[in-house]
Amino acid sequence: MYENKRLGFLFVLPFVLGVLLFKLFPFVASFALSFSQYDLIDPPEFVGLANYQELATGDPLFRKSLGVTLLFAALAVPLRVGFALFIAHVLNFKMRGINFFRAAFYLPSILGGSIAVAVLWRFIFSKNGLVNLLLSHIGIEPIAWLADEHYSMWTIVLLFTWQFGSAMVIFLAALQNVSVSLYEAAECDGASKFQQFWRITVPLITPVIFFNLIMQMVHAFQEFNGPYLITEGGPLSSTYVLALYIYDQSFRFFNLGYGAALSWVLFALVGGLSAFSFWSSKYWVFYAGEKERK
Amino acid sequence: MTSSTETLVLNRERGRPWLRYLALGLVALVMLYPLLWLVGASFKSNGEIFSEIGFWPSRFELGAYAKGWKTSTEYTFATYFLNSFLITIPRIIVTVISCVLVAYAFARFEFWGKKLLFSVMVGTMMLPLIVLRLPQYLMFRELGWLDSYLPLIVPSAFATDTFFVFMLVQFLRGIPRDMEEAAQIDGCNALQLLWHIIVPLLKPAIISVIVFQFIWTMNDFMGPLIYLASVEKYPVSLALKMSIGATEEVEWANVIAISVVALIPSVTVFFMAQKHFIEGASSSGIKG
Amino acid sequence: MAHLSLKKIEKVYANGFKAVHGVDLEVRDGEFMVFVGPSGCAKSTLLRMIAGLESITGGDLHIGARRVNELAPKQRGIAMVFQNYALYPHMTVYENLAFGLKLAGTPKTEVAQRVRHAAQLLEMEHLLERYPKQLSGGQAQRVAVGRAIVKKPEVFLFDEPLSNLDAKLRASMRVRLTELHRNLRESGQPATVVYVTHDQVEAMTMGERICVLKEGVIQQVDTPTALYDHPANAFVASFIGSPEMNIHEAQLQPQGEGLAVVLGGQVLPLPAAKAQPLRSRSGAVKFGLRPEHVTALPREGSLAVPCSLRFVEHMGSEVFVHFSIGETAMTARVPADQLGELAGKTRGAAHVFHLQLERCHLFDAETGANLLL
Repeated sequence: MYENKRLGFLFVLPFVLGVLLFKLFPFVASFALSFSQYDLIDPPEFVGLANYQELATGDPLFRKSLGVTLLFAALAVPLRVGFALFIAHVLNFKMRGINFFRAAFYLPSILGGSIAVAVLWRFIFSKNGLVNLLLSHIGIEPIAWLADEHYSMWTIVLLFTWQFGSAMVIFLAALQNVSVSLYEAAECDGASKFQQFWRITVPLITPVIFFNLIMQMVHAFQEFNGPYLITEGGPLSSTYVLALYIYDQSFRFFNLGYGAALSWVLFALVGGLSAFSFWSSKYWVFYAGEKERK
Repeated sequence: MTSSTETLVLNRERGRPWLRYLALGLVALVMLYPLLWLVGASFKSNGEIFSEIGFWPSRFELGAYAKGWKTSTEYTFATYFLNSFLITIPRIIVTVISCVLVAYAFARFEFWGKKLLFSVMVGTMMLPLIVLRLPQYLMFRELGWLDSYLPLIVPSAFATDTFFVFMLVQFLRGIPRDMEEAAQIDGCNALQLLWHIIVPLLKPAIISVIVFQFIWTMNDFMGPLIYLASVEKYPVSLALKMSIGATEEVEWANVIAISVVALIPSVTVFFMAQKHFIEGASSSGIKG
Repeated sequence: MAHLSLKKIEKVYANGFKAVHGVDLEVRDGEFMVFVGPSGCAKSTLLRMIAGLESITGGDLHIGARRVNELAPKQRGIAMVFQNYALYPHMTVYENLAFGLKLAGTPKTEVAQRVRHAAQLLEMEHLLERYPKQLSGGQAQRVAVGRAIVKKPEVFLFDEPLSNLDAKLRASMRVRLTELHRNLRESGQPATVVYVTHDQVEAMTMGERICVLKEGVIQQVDTPTALYDHPANAFVASFIGSPEMNIHEAQLQPQGEGLAVVLGGQVLPLPAAKAQPLRSRSGAVKFGLRPEHVTALPREGSLAVPCSLRFVEHMGSEVFVHFSIGETAMTARVPADQLGELAGKTRGAAHVFHLQLERCHLFDAETGANLLL
């Protein structure tokens, strides 16, 4: 029955339709749109590369936004993945209550994307919010997290890092897959715990590290809720990530062609980074894989 | 042959397990403190919120809840919650149905373009979806679906939430085909197989899908933001945004109270099913 | 190359379970000592305690002149070969072998020399650039052994290294390992080896001395021949030798000047050499006789006993005959060319078997201790 190709295709049909309607078609349409000018009132007008030219040369806000987005990703992704790996490693021993800790660390990643948490974050980082209260208790002057362009980025980076739980459980599962006798052999070889971590554990989970890095990078570049609700892209556009810029251009100013072009730049950026990661992976990712015989 | 527990005992015998517990406990405390504080703050007076770092309120005041619930709009949060469920429940239903069907196809069947479609599926998981938002919006606009829940529900009926398809496929791959082969010999057709044999075995994974989709949809912000215009249709996420967006003077106590309420469904569902879906989430990662 | 000394070694787990009960053992410098026993006898636990992978809760362990109870594995001068090889998948064979040396800061030239030497000894020079996943089971096991050799340890520890291999490979690896040990000794680098296995064939063929364990207690430590000829108790007697020794409850009773054993309703007079030391005893005993000491044809000094045939397993060069004396089931191991009349008989037929009673064993009915030692 499973060789019946028509039957198989029938089952997968919803997906095929979904891909065509909701992914492929919009994908192509968005590309086409990026070469046009469209404000929903008048019909779209073909303008060639004008949008892209504007982005490349005439739009300082774009450059700022691009910089902000890259900075955000460069800070948030390593922090999130690094923390996830570290905590997973600490959790990876025979312990009681592992389920409690797993759930405790995972919960933020579930709730973190919600408005409620964004609201909470906005509140605790406000001038007389929780964070400043805590800081004053240890003698540090309150920081204008949301009003100072040097600190605003940290609020959204922290929110992103706070949600490391989803990456952590993936790391934990991978760590638990590493055979204990490898650590014993390393112990007999004289490796310290530190050496065991860097020379046995990490190399063996590089596929998972790679996976997490890519997934988190894609998430980071699309981060919207945090910047929108907590800092509203400010102050002075210091947290005006590309996702916000795209949203504003597309849905507030109805500059649809430009918005499409922006989203394509973002797409190309993420695509390029992914491709680079895949290319570089052959140098540092080791797949244990199945037995091969020569 | 030694069990892993025996060997780990040695490493930890000479190590200091309490140090790990301490470190983990501290991190967990720091991580969860904002949430604890949120709950505590919802019972505090405005003044106390801004002055106390301890999360336990000195007096339990429920006023904020009442005011927050009523909101400053003409609708109470009852409406907004109802709306959230009106989006979430149908979406879950269509998601489960379509994703199970499609995952079944990928995991078991052979069909034309299978490899290509699978790569597409994996690829879309990595696509910045933002690039699709605008054209989708225009498409729904043409269809006249703006300001309705359709744009939020219908795409999921076509298995466009590829993460779930992927997770179900991985899970299915781990299930041996013996029972299906036995059923085929007994004369089952594909749908009967699916319903009587596969779906019961897929239960843990399906629960994961339901839980994730529930939480993600309840928390979905950008979708409703783009597609919904009438306040009476707002789900909780937009209503919350409204409560802080309007003026500079925010009634923080009320907002905090209602934020807690907004989180309750997600947290409840999470705790009810947490063991299940954490395992689902982790296995979809490593087998990739 | 060092002497290993275990004095009153004990292992009690956190939940109170006592796995190892007061083990006293001396392994001589350069000796090949095998720990053997059924699963759960704590042989692996004991090995891991010697290695330093399990803590020692009681007693003293000395490697060479040093007391090593508190030392980490690296500091004990041991090298271990694991059952599942435990090769580092992300390193080549060369790097696997060199890992421990590099960690210790050994200069590169010496590392290279030691690795190549080990590779030569194990005939795996052509595998040095391969990754573990490209190796067959036997090759992987050789690399695991090589990793141990390269460290030049004082004691080699093997934890059931051959049990993951198929039967044929196991047989050839057995020979290879034994030869390696003897070669090393002859070339002036004797290696002290503690080898854990559940397979008594491995134990008998490889060990210079064997330590038989049961439930954390040493039953007997002796050479293979001694274990075979003079087992200390019924457990050792039945564990060593395949097919298993026939051991059954029987009655001792006086017979004229000596003693006889009543087995399956038959009265079997014991030879004087056996009867003499047991003169004063009577009552229940456990009677043991190896299948190879039951013949189908008469032999000098053997006792003819009428039996009935149950069934026969043909092994080619020999035949395992299952028969009964009365109600008591026995096994005989008969060379195929010495079947005599047995060859034509069928199930249930009567046949006279010849028991070589001068090779029989008598064990205490309760403790199982060998009454003739």
